[in-house]
Amino acid sequence: MTLTDLSPGETGIILNIEADTTLSNRLRELGLLDGIAVRMVKMAPLKGPVEIKVHHSYLSIRWDDAQTIRLQS
Amino acid sequence: MKHHFASSSNTGSRDGEHWVAIVGNPNCGKTAIFNLLTGLNQKVSNYPGITVEKKEGFARTDDGDFRLLDLPGTYSLSAESFDEEIVSEQIDQWAKGMAPPSVIISVVDATNLGRNLYLTSQLQDLNIPIVIALNMVDQLEDHTQIDADKLASKMGVAAVIPLSAKLNEGLDNLKNAVVNARKGKQSPLDSPPWMDSEMVSDLKSTEQNGYVSARFGLAQSMRNKIQSGTMERDQEAILRYRWIDDILSQVTHRGAETPLASSRSEQWDKILTHQWGGPLIFVGILYFIFQSIFTWATVPMDMIQLGMDNFSTFVVNNMPEGMLRDILVEGIIGGVGAIVIFLPQILILSFFLTLLEDTGYMARVAFMLDKGMTKMGLHGKSVLPLMSGYACAIPGIMSTRTIDSWKERLVTILILPLMSCSARLPVYTLLIGAFIPSVTVGGYFNLQGLTLVLMYFLGTAVALILAKVFSKWVGEKSSSSFIMELPPYRAPIPKSVLRHVFIRGKLFLVNAGKVIMAISIVLWFLASFPKVDNPNSDVNPIQHSYAGQIGHAMEPVIRPLGFDWKIGIGLLTSFAAREVMVSTMATIYNVEDAGEEAVNLREAMQTDVHPETGAPTYTPLVALALMVFYVFAAQCMATFAIVRQETNSWKWPMFMVVYMTALAYFGAMAVYQGGKLLGFS
Repeated sequence: MTLTDLSPGETGIILNIEADTTLSNRLRELGLLDGIAVRMVKMAPLKGPVEIKVHHSYLSIRWDDAQTIRLQS
Repeated sequence: MKHHFASSSNTGSRDGEHWVAIVGNPNCGKTAIFNLLTGLNQKVSNYPGITVEKKEGFARTDDGDFRLLDLPGTYSLSAESFDEEIVSEQIDQWAKGMAPPSVIISVVDATNLGRNLYLTSQLQDLNIPIVIALNMVDQLEDHTQIDADKLASKMGVAAVIPLSAKLNEGLDNLKNAVVNARKGKQSPLDSPPWMDSEMVSDLKSTEQNGYVSARFGLAQSMRNKIQSGTMERDQEAILRYRWIDDILSQVTHRGAETPLASSRSEQWDKILTHQWGGPLIFVGILYFIFQSIFTWATVPMDMIQLGMDNFSTFVVNNMPEGMLRDILVEGIIGGVGAIVIFLPQILILSFFLTLLEDTGYMARVAFMLDKGMTKMGLHGKSVLPLMSGYACAIPGIMSTRTIDSWKERLVTILILPLMSCSARLPVYTLLIGAFIPSVTVGGYFNLQGLTLVLMYFLGTAVALILAKVFSKWVGEKSSSSFIMELPPYRAPIPKSVLRHVFIRGKLFLVNAGKVIMAISIVLWFLASFPKVDNPNSDVNPIQHSYAGQIGHAMEPVIRPLGFDWKIGIGLLTSFAAREVMVSTMATIYNVEDAGEEAVNLREAMQTDVHPETGAPTYTPLVALALMVFYVFAAQCMATFAIVRQETNSWKWPMFMVVYMTALAYFGAMAVYQGGKLLGFS
């Protein structure tokens, strides 16, 4: 499953990230490492960006980019 | 990623000079600390990436002064957007020994320590003494403790200073620590502590040349290997975080609250960024702002008008008759006065925009609108620049630097001047006040306020449509993402808000003082000379003047839009700045009237009649056409200068002048001719 499969309020653990190098690099730098817990906070309508909480901060990520973040099932 | 470097990356610092750089994540309180250290009042905002330029100032200590440089916020040295690139370019130069700072202040948000220390660990590779400013300690959850001294020794930085920029606590300790860090000599490490010896020897063989610090060279060659695919990607992040997490587990004591717990801001967001309610609230806020520009500003505006009238009467009564008095009353007081009266509206507009930004609301607006903006060829982060465009296009264009895709940034710049800036406000206000009746329509809305909203809406809607058109053929497709931190809602700092509003008002007045005064004087001459030889003849002296002649020469071109020669002169002078239109009309009427006091421009325009037919010169239809012209017209030199700077080419500003002028001309023509066909006069 990927990040976008979470419903708002649900938490998942990152398995890996399948984005291209630039995007993956940015996500990793922001602390989205494998094994880290992420909570889905909010999804903008019509597959707009999603808001997640990771560590202590809230991040927005576009839907397509969020789909590259795979979660442990 | 393709970027055009507009500003040089030179800090202007001299070799060997003692100076200090402030570096940190977006929204960690960097600018607030910079302000407190320097006493300089930089605008502090609650929007990620608000420092899009480098800012300089001086800090005073008992041990002498040092120069401070505030850099844009960034998460790491691998840049994604132009503002981040400014930082990574700069740090690369320091690493090569080009005018490096003697100390770096690394500002970190104590409530999100791990993520913030990532950048600190990259800075450490420079082997320049680092002082960590542990900001926002007042906002730590109960029972969370951070052992600052232990953190400093474990990480190997000169000092860790807990402080709160919000409460102005701990800043003196920070200054002292900076002074001591410069004196104290730390023994530099040859390799990053998070790299094992095997990796070090592996990287040594490919080590980058040209870096003063061997440690930075190793980290850089690691980044290069990751880029070229010869090393497993994400390695840098994994290794650095492993090191940081290990240290943090030894120096922090966490409270019971889990890191993923719902914050108070998240509760607010249940309403403010609700799927459907959120956008509605945003539209409501916009409508409220535009209504208040009209309703709240009337009292101070009337007071300014009264003051101006009294002042010109005073001058007339106390100065001997002559040309000097005429210039003063008809040219300067008439011209500048007509502009100063709009100060209250401009202050109200910038007050609200500052408030939206400082509370953290604008970041949410970017989140809510990203999908729609992408559909129009723009970006969620285009919203803030476009909204700033309502105040002034120039800061708006500067703030597009946070958009990480060049194509979307360029499209944002190209359409931004269509957002009605505050310089158009005087034109709209004058025309609406004079020609649109103040009646209530639909039981609730004031027709004047509604017309104003309509003008803003027209500019915005056309801007969005053109964005879609331009994005089809402007620039190549570049990768784009929208990874943005949503900062917690914070109460705005009143001092900072007022300061910003004050600066905006001052800029407006200085402009009025310089450009408008000069144009008013020149115009007064053009409108007053040559004098009619026979004062009893039927010739209208102003029609006979140079200005009148120029205006009449223009009339055939602008006649189809319903404009007469007076408006023609106004259109010409507007090329310096839009608001000059108002002072131009004021000067013309003052010269024509040549009476004892400055005329009331609104009344003068309402009562102006055609000399032969006796029909009113300006009708609501003409006013509407003129407003539409101002919505679109390219009339601000400063804007195009800044576009050239940001795009590094004359091609784009010239393109903007052409498309905006065409829109203005044909838009106004459509309104006037269409209106006439429908039977309006």
